Amino acid sequence: MHIPDGFISPQTYLPAYAVAAGLWAFAARRVRRDLDADTLPFLAAYTALSFVLMMVALPLPGGTTVHAAGIGLLAVSFGGWMGFLAISLVLAMQALLFGDGGITALPINALAMGLVGSFAALAAWKGLGRFNQSVALFLAGWLSIVLPALLVALALGIQPLIAHDAQGAPLFFPFSMNITLPAVVLPHLLVGLAEGVLTVLGYRYLTRLREKLAA
Amino acid sequence: MNRDRAALFAYLAAVLAASWLHDPVWLAAGLAVTLLAAGGAASSLLRRSVLTVLAFNSVISLSYAALAWMQHIMPWETLLRINLRVVLLTSLTFLFIARVNLFRALDFSQNLTYALGLAYSQALTFRRAHEDFRLALASRSLKRPRLIDRYRASAAAAAWFIEKALHAATQSAQALRSRGFFHD
Repeated sequence: MHIPDGFISPQTYLPAYAVAAGLWAFAARRVRRDLDADTLPFLAAYTALSFVLMMVALPLPGGTTVHAAGIGLLAVSFGGWMGFLAISLVLAMQALLFGDGGITALPINALAMGLVGSFAALAAWKGLGRFNQSVALFLAGWLSIVLPALLVALALGIQPLIAHDAQGAPLFFPFSMNITLPAVVLPHLLVGLAEGVLTVLGYRYLTRLREKLAA
Repeated sequence: MNRDRAALFAYLAAVLAASWLHDPVWLAAGLAVTLLAAGGAASSLLRRSVLTVLAFNSVISLSYAALAWMQHIMPWETLLRINLRVVLLTSLTFLFIARVNLFRALDFSQNLTYALGLAYSQALTFRRAHEDFRLALASRSLKRPRLIDRYRASAAAAAWFIEKALHAATQSAQALRSRGFFHD
């Protein structure tokens, strides 16, 4: 889902960095209240976990694969701000240590996947969890993929409008909203199903494991 | 300011410049300077950058060429500009990764450096383990594994990673506490 370097204009990524920086500072303050010898390593461990979940391929019939992100699982297990920070760290690590993704796209990816993905998942979990846990977890996983995909599509789709030369030729991502929205969002409606299943199974496994460790 | 932090600022300035330049000639000149700065590693840097962006950029470029053809627009300058910019930015990033110690560049924040350091070290371990899992499944299978076997392998790998992450977090917490990290 996440955008590589070179397709987002500075008119988009500079304001996005300003917004993301403010939210990272706020999230760090929120998390720091709980940041101690236990939570700092957990933040690091779940960042690494989310990083590797993005590498685990979930096969689909027909030979293709999709990649989970673990956003829903992180958010319902550790809260929205922790999820936002962990996903942002994953994206920063991918961009600056592994050369995957991009530094110019980092704030858009972090806001879409980390912030909106985490809080959408958390809202589904908190809103529906008391009625049906499995449905709430599934919806949390599905929303954590579909809403960020929608935002990423919007960020890409506005590029020809805000960054073009005198003749109207695009300077960055060349396709407008009517092409970008269906091309990005429709496949993610299906990818979200896999993420939903992963969130249900992952959460159950994590709960059992924590009980085992606590015993 | 240490050398790595200065290099981080130089990298960010170069990224900004590459975003504001739109003339393909200037973008090509920027790429040439980046490759010159890479010295003997220039050809491998260029090859790695092109291979990294090849799949995504091919789809975008071919789709845009088809769209431009249908609308009777000349796509070449736009395609050249977009592809040069993407390769330039990717080359800059790979050069930065090869030359700069990010942990020293970010050492103004103790918590950030530790979180990044712990996450990076575990991510490296996990990445190696992920490759081992992939090779193990391939070596156990005489023919292409069935869909259900691949699901089981993915589930087993994910479960192992979750368990490993929990144990690693507990161990790191004990190690940090025993060294007085939160009381310094």
